[in-house]
Amino acid sequence: MRLALLLLTLLGLALAQPPQTTPPPDLSPEVFRIAKGLRCPVCQGESASESNSGVAQEMRRLIAEQLAQGKSEAEIRQFFVERYGPWILYEPPKQGLTLWVWLSPLIGLALLAYGLWRYLAATRARAVPADVSEEEIARLEAELHQPPDPHRRTP
Amino acid sequence: MRRFWPLLVLALGGLFWWGLQRPDPNALPSVLVGKPAPTFERPLLQPYRAEWGDRLELGEQVGSRPILINFWASWCLPCRDEAPLLEAYWRRYRDRLLILGVNVQDTEAKALEFIREYGLSFPSVFDPKGTLGVDYGTYGVPETFVIDAEGKVLQRHAGPVNEAVLRDMLRKAGLEGL
Repeated sequence: MRLALLLLTLLGLALAQPPQTTPPPDLSPEVFRIAKGLRCPVCQGESASESNSGVAQEMRRLIAEQLAQGKSEAEIRQFFVERYGPWILYEPPKQGLTLWVWLSPLIGLALLAYGLWRYLAATRARAVPADVSEEEIARLEAELHQPPDPHRRTP
Repeated sequence: MRRFWPLLVLALGGLFWWGLQRPDPNALPSVLVGKPAPTFERPLLQPYRAEWGDRLELGEQVGSRPILINFWASWCLPCRDEAPLLEAYWRRYRDRLLILGVNVQDTEAKALEFIREYGLSFPSVFDPKGTLGVDYGTYGVPETFVIDAEGKVLQRHAGPVNEAVLRDMLRKAGLEGL
């Protein structure tokens, strides 16, 4: 009985779903896909697909309306760029000044790799035992072959 | 590597300095400046129908005088700050300047209450969905645009206007000595 109850509880937990995040049925997923690439103008860091603000709702309605008119995604994005400038796009265009936004992570990685390589090279160089000079070896050998001095105190 | 540190620090410092020199990071320039103002035709709110008709078409108003378009909503607190100022300017200069309100993302009842509260006599059109806000690329309310006598957008101001800002905007529209 207890086992059945436990199983039932576990099953209930397994079936528990987070609140629905799928789009409401009145707008197609395509609308939300396009809206995801557009900023919500009145929000901080939210796309027009996530926000519930009036502007974002209106943007989704406009996207749906233009899709129904047979406009392509590029045309719809252009519609918003004409009104807000490229700022409205979540992904900055890969040209001109904004190209840096795309390249900077790669440049950062390259710099990091270079720094790491330099650091490892330096530590490896330090780990190699220093060479003993010829002179030193000759002196040590001479010392070894000398007959022990009876008057010399050994430590 | 060590001798590159001062260079790196300088480069970073330069970047920060450049960032600080930008006038206002929140003031995004409107792409509409210098372009013809998006035209529209919208129903007027009830108090203005007797004088202006049921609907107002922007194109019909262009030509005789500069137009100041103000986007507002009753739920917007900064709009309450600037409403008396806009009304004062309208009463004083209505023969030289058209002030046109665009009520966005609002209900009609609340908009009418706001108009009554501040005694607004300049005409306002009603745009509950905020389509005009998207057409003008607004980031929120309030926002104010100045359109010259040829129908071109001269300037945009995001946020509430004070008297200095308003006077400066109108000077650029050729209205001296206001």
